[in-house]
Amino acid sequence: MITFENVDVVYPNGFKGLDNINLNITKGEFVAIIGLSGAGKSTLIRAVNGLVPYTGGTLTVGETVVDPRNKSKLRKLRARVGMIFQQFNNVGRISVLNNVLIGRSAFTSTWRSLIGWYGAEDKEVAFQSLERVGIVDKAYNRASALSGGQQQRVAIARVLAQDPEVILADEPVASLDPPTARKVLGDLRRIQQDLGITCIVNMHHLDLARDYADRIIGMRAGKVVFDGPTGEAIDAVIEDVYQRSLTAEDIATVNVPVSLEDIPAEAEAEAVAAGEPDGNS
Amino acid sequence: MTAVAERPSAASAVKRPEPPKPPLANYLGLVVIAMAAFAFFWWTREDTSVLFLPLGFITLWAPQWPLIGFLTMLAVLALCWFTRTSPMAAFGALSVVVFSYWAGSNIYFIDRIIDVPSRLTGGNTRDQLIGYFNPDWSYLLFSNVAGTSRPIWGEWLITLCMAVVATIIGCFIGLLLAMLASPVSSFNKATSQTVKAVNSVVRSIPDVGWALLFAAFIGGTAYGLGALAAVLALIMFNIGIVAKLLGESIDAVNPGPLEAADATGANLLQRDRVAVLPAVMPSFVSYSLYVFELNIRASAALGVVGVAGIGGELSRQIGRMSQGYENVGAILWALVLVVLLVDLLSMWIRRKLL
Ligand SMILES: Nc1ncnc2c1ncn2[C@@H]1O[C@H](COP(=O)(O)OP(=O)(O)OP(=O)(O)O)[C@@H](O)[C@H]1O
Ligand SMILES: [Mg+2]
Repeated sequence: MITFENVDVVYPNGFKGLDNINLNITKGEFVAIIGLSGAGKSTLIRAVNGLVPYTGGTLTVGETVVDPRNKSKLRKLRARVGMIFQQFNNVGRISVLNNVLIGRSAFTSTWRSLIGWYGAEDKEVAFQSLERVGIVDKAYNRASALSGGQQQRVAIARVLAQDPEVILADEPVASLDPPTARKVLGDLRRIQQDLGITCIVNMHHLDLARDYADRIIGMRAGKVVFDGPTGEAIDAVIEDVYQRSLTAEDIATVNVPVSLEDIPAEAEAEAVAAGEPDGNS
Repeated sequence: MTAVAERPSAASAVKRPEPPKPPLANYLGLVVIAMAAFAFFWWTREDTSVLFLPLGFITLWAPQWPLIGFLTMLAVLALCWFTRTSPMAAFGALSVVVFSYWAGSNIYFIDRIIDVPSRLTGGNTRDQLIGYFNPDWSYLLFSNVAGTSRPIWGEWLITLCMAVVATIIGCFIGLLLAMLASPVSSFNKATSQTVKAVNSVVRSIPDVGWALLFAAFIGGTAYGLGALAAVLALIMFNIGIVAKLLGESIDAVNPGPLEAADATGANLLQRDRVAVLPAVMPSFVSYSLYVFELNIRASAALGVVGVAGIGGELSRQIGRMSQGYENVGAILWALVLVVLLVDLLSMWIRRKLL
């Protein structure tokens, strides 16, 4: 479905973001990409839909060779490849439904988009997508008035409205609290399986990757250093990817404040004094 | 102060750093610059008054104003030195003094402003003030424009209508140009640069300049086209403002949603419509209301070049001020009132909309 053949990405400043990547991702697979910050996870994902142009090798999605220079071909490709972002990237000032309808852009003529007149089928698709992620009741709310988890569901619905073959997700749950992260990821996993969509997801948390992915790809310094089914991604292998031994924080996601550093020291002290160590969530 | 004293001191032995002393050499350089400025002002001075500095055995003299300027420069430098200001900031302060001296002396600012009190007490200032504070409301409400059967208050309506038409057309074109001008929403760099350049030209001509141009091109009030000339002038004026301000708002929109729109395969126009426009809509509404206020105000000034509306009437009344100041007073007070009302209205709309 998605094949990387000797793919390189060299950024305009000369930095090598991807170094000779060879991958073959089959249809319907749910692939998690892990690696330290700066390993090139985002670069890899963005190369697939041309947000980052690759500079060497061949990248194919389905039958189409990704051609970063051909704008109109790229738009046709992007219509089939949805993308979800860490910061949701919804348009805050418009309704949830209109956000989801942005996903229909590639199937809507420009003048219809300009006057904001979407067809009945487009609306139907949008509502079905919202039903799939379970927030259809919020359709006419402002997108900015939703919680983080709901906003990421809007983003997923927007992508589903594209009726995509592939979903790329760049740290989709990194801005969410652990239980919500699990729910959103679970939704994504279920929808992906229902519709047979190929999914590539960047992740921070190893145990989320282990719980939801079929396959794990480990990256370091722009190279793939591990690639195998989730079962093979044992701690020793992951330690090699991270180049250090795993700590509790790498694995645990639930019931541990994600970033203890974020909690002001005084608040923490008060919480401890009051006898509720994690009462600040 | 006591609060600071009560705090337990941190048990750190590391000495707190003193603010660094600015290098003396740089300051000496600044003094040299000040002396050069003094010399320049001395040679180019036109005033002949001179100050003497008796030092006992010798008496120094210097032209009065350049010397005062020089002493001010030295005082500023001394202040900067004792507050340990960096040489660059001190240079900035020195430049402010030098440039204000230079600019002020070229227009004889001090000499002229000294004249003002005597001009205010002599002449007809008293009569004017009395006139302005006893505005002739019946003129404003019941008279006609001289030589016609049009009532004066009708001119207000015309002014308002000119402002409305100009705001709507000008802001809409301004929005399109802003989209083309910002590299974020424009087709390519070349388009954006070109539109920005055109826009600078539009903005460099002031509203009165546009009114003069249009009055000359298509004819002013004499041909019944005064309102049109004013509207066209205001449109150009509004385009310049909105395209500039909104273009900068577009530059600053959060790139995330734009990227998301790109990633769905939307084309540029679709992206501008669904992601850029909603993001800048509050600014656009706000700028449009601001521009409407400006238009009401500007149309009074445009009257001077013979266009229609209350501005035209104002300039006619100023022309015959020798017959009394009550009419001008009435128009000016009414202008203050109308602008205030428009201000309140736009504030209210802004609150409702945003
Ligand atoms: N536009 C760019 N120009 C130059 N270098 C870039 C650019 N974008 C990313 N890089 C570099 O490429 C490397 C990989 O970046 P990338 O964003 O893919 O990392 P990542 O694995 O997604 O990290 P994170 O977990 O922090 O998101 C980094 O060293 C980064 O500095
Ligand atoms: Mg990243």
